[in-house]
Amino acid sequence: MARMVDERCCDRCWHGPSRPCPDRIACLVDGPVCHASDACRQAAAERAARLRRQAVARPAILVGTGTCGLAAGAGRVLAALRRHLAGRNAEADVVEVGCIGLCTAEPIVDIQLPGRTRLSCGPVAEDKAAALADAVLAGRAPPENILGQHRPAGAQQVWAGVPWLDEHPFFAPQTRRVLANCGVIDPSSMDEYLVRGGYRAFAGALRSRTPAEVCEMVEESGLRGRGGGGFPTGLKWKGALGAPAEQKYLVCNADEGDPGAFMDRALIEGDPHRVLEGMAVAAYAIGATKAYVYIRAEYPLAVRRLAGAVHQAEAAGLLGTNVLDSGFNLQVAIKKGAGAFVCGEETALIASVEGRRGMPRPRPPFPAVRGLFERPTVINSVETLANVPEIIARGPEWFAAVGTAASKGTKVFALSGNVARTGLVEVAMGTTIRRIVFDVGGGIAGGKGCKAVHIGGPSGGCIPAEHIDVRVDYESLKTVGAAMGSGGLVVMDEDTCMVDVARFFMDFIQRESCGKCIPCREGTRRMLEILQRITRGRRGESGLEALQRFQGVMYLARLAEVIKDTSLCGLGQAAPNPVLSTLRHFRPEYEAHIYERRCPAGVCRELLSYRIDADKCNGCTVCASKCPAGAIMGARESPHYVVPDKCVGCGACKEACRFEAVVVE
Amino acid sequence: MTRDTAATQPAEAGGLEGVDLECVREILHQHQHDRGGLIAVLEEVQARYGHLPEAVLRTVAEETGRPLVDVYGVATFYRFFTLKPRGKHLVCACLGTACHVRGAPRIVEEFERQLRIQRGETTPDKQFTLETVNCLGACALGPVVVIDGRYFSKVRRSRVQQLLDDAVKGFGGGDLREDGRVFPIEVSCPRCNHSLMDAAAPIDGLPAIRLSLSLVGRHGRLRLSSLYGSDHVSADQDVPEGQVAGFFCPHCHGPLDTSPDCPDCQAPMASLLVRGGGVLRICSRRGCKNRVLDLT
Repeated sequence: MARMVDERCCDRCWHGPSRPCPDRIACLVDGPVCHASDACRQAAAERAARLRRQAVARPAILVGTGTCGLAAGAGRVLAALRRHLAGRNAEADVVEVGCIGLCTAEPIVDIQLPGRTRLSCGPVAEDKAAALADAVLAGRAPPENILGQHRPAGAQQVWAGVPWLDEHPFFAPQTRRVLANCGVIDPSSMDEYLVRGGYRAFAGALRSRTPAEVCEMVEESGLRGRGGGGFPTGLKWKGALGAPAEQKYLVCNADEGDPGAFMDRALIEGDPHRVLEGMAVAAYAIGATKAYVYIRAEYPLAVRRLAGAVHQAEAAGLLGTNVLDSGFNLQVAIKKGAGAFVCGEETALIASVEGRRGMPRPRPPFPAVRGLFERPTVINSVETLANVPEIIARGPEWFAAVGTAASKGTKVFALSGNVARTGLVEVAMGTTIRRIVFDVGGGIAGGKGCKAVHIGGPSGGCIPAEHIDVRVDYESLKTVGAAMGSGGLVVMDEDTCMVDVARFFMDFIQRESCGKCIPCREGTRRMLEILQRITRGRRGESGLEALQRFQGVMYLARLAEVIKDTSLCGLGQAAPNPVLSTLRHFRPEYEAHIYERRCPAGVCRELLSYRIDADKCNGCTVCASKCPAGAIMGARESPHYVVPDKCVGCGACKEACRFEAVVVE
Repeated sequence: MTRDTAATQPAEAGGLEGVDLECVREILHQHQHDRGGLIAVLEEVQARYGHLPEAVLRTVAEETGRPLVDVYGVATFYRFFTLKPRGKHLVCACLGTACHVRGAPRIVEEFERQLRIQRGETTPDKQFTLETVNCLGACALGPVVVIDGRYFSKVRRSRVQQLLDDAVKGFGGGDLREDGRVFPIEVSCPRCNHSLMDAAAPIDGLPAIRLSLSLVGRHGRLRLSSLYGSDHVSADQDVPEGQVAGFFCPHCHGPLDTSPDCPDCQAPMASLLVRGGGVLRICSRRGCKNRVLDLT
């Protein structure tokens, strides 16, 4: 299908790549501005309706193929559908869309018939996909796995008896602004973004606003950095705009600084042009002519989608030289990271983009004064930039209407862990964690109790169940010892050991420490050792080792404070947070590990002892055959027993036993 | 950070060296205007060789005028780079927070037990390399394991053995045909309608698709798997990753490139007629796996 930007409405259209025009976007979407022709306007309106999927001529089948969808088997569903339709000569378009956010229901298949609303179904198994397509194409709503229908646009007929998708318990509590297009539009099509109002904010800003006005609007909106810092974006931009320099840079930080978060990936995979438009506006506002996207190499699909989007925008004259005849030039380049967590930190990221080891440097000078290649540089996260287009298009008041006094707008969270519905969630600032976990997420999976919610990744902290009514905004979270972070929200049930979680984060940080400053390099390793000693078994522990263990316990909190106070960059300063917050809220659990040598949650393997309940065991010998250490003894058809000295505590017997005879203590 | 020693096996570097370094220079040449492009250069080099041999690092240092210690420093700083050759199959287990609380450490231990290696190591028979990553971004479906570029979600300990067996068989080959995305097709030239199928040198056990290929004045032959969805190819000349080649019919010598361009990378796509009706379009950029089957 020819792209919209390549088409000319009629012979009078004079557009071409060599003739930039400030009205290009309006002309493409609404019809020609420079010549009056009802036929051309009519054609443009019809095309827009088709691209918005208000009036589709052929049935469309849309499969969510983000990375999470593909992991759940969307690729196979897609192929099954294509094959099936090819075999039946059925008239239908098969389209790949991004991820709508409800990862537990992946693979999600949407079907839209001409003149009807769009139906969403999921999870759709590979072998059920064909039957589902047949049923819907024949005009019957499928009996099962239906998620809901989209709201009718224009004169679309509604499916009777099918609930609205936006009333689905996962979507109802959300305020979807940044994610509005994710999973709805085809991310490889710039046209679909354009007809949904895309690039209007950028075109409008270029034509009728000065860079200072754009900065002012963003400052008024109250947008704060969504990468975790919470620094007012408008202020940052103003600082860079005022910095005198011939060359300035904009960097979009798409290096997800949090193992357990995937907002940036999903956003770029699902709606890459929104991020690009945000970058273009930001670059204009600060006077940058070169922009970089620093993206993780672990996200190959996101890199590809983004590269495609950059090419499309260049071809359409929205990037490059003299953009839309405004005299503004912008080049966007993609820089792939190579797997270093610390590169999410501003100054380390700059070093990495420059092709050096990603090590931070002391600030000031801040990057807005001296950054990339020694020039003023603004670094914004993907989510921050994705918020920008609508602030410009709808005004700062619209943006600030949602949120709390100091934190405006919405926040995207990657909800994961032991929760019934996992996925990507966008809620208004000020929503309680309880609402996110229990209403959006549907509570704890498997009917267990909620123990804690970890927010903000390795730099964040744990919020215990009793503080779960805390509101998400930058200030409230600090009162419970947590931080907003970039948006990872990992829900932990009763079977999670908080000491183990702290140890996990310390292990992570100590591996990822760049090694430049001593508090972080040495301190985090010592903290990890202390936590390891607490969680280790004590068989054969020597006197010296016991002393070291005691010493570690005594110094743990103090060491954490020292690391916090003296580390060079944000990574090190926040490194002890997981330990400090778990120590604050789950002290009894640490004490159980230290004094009673047991792990209440049954996770720390070396502190566990396994026993076989003689009443339940019928001597099937399955456990004995699975035991890697040969620690289970017993004759066939008589109760077995565990030899404690041989047991390595792997839990293979518990997993293997079908009679629940293995007891963990 | 992983700190490997620059242990390059002489045998590995020796045999390929002449050709290799030319490729490195070509990659460097492509990036000469790319400020701060060292990481991108090393990424491309690693994509070619699977690891970063010492000779390559020396060449990069010489050509760019940067001290070897800088190049070595970058190569050892980032987790993505490896100075040791990897095995044939790469098992990459996610150890992000979400995967951790859902039991990822036990999955990794099971891989370690089955492969009898530790994380970060390669089996002595050079079949498997086991690596862990901080996050693959599919947190909602943890624990996630990626084997040879394929994502597996909600992996249980009991499934590890099966995954390794499947990897050895190749998710390609026999298993490839059971994969729903993959099915054989027969194609012909859209200009002369001559069949392009070549039974003489089968790929994936089926007749291959034979095309002529041209790249900066050099010509060669390219064979593609006729399984739609398989990425197996064989060519008598090396096309560097990211390069766009021209495709021609080996019979009428007419060019096969037509618009529209590849939606992913904007390179021209070559059109082939599918027997039974329809058009197959393949992207002409090496490394871009985009292909479109339009059955009409």
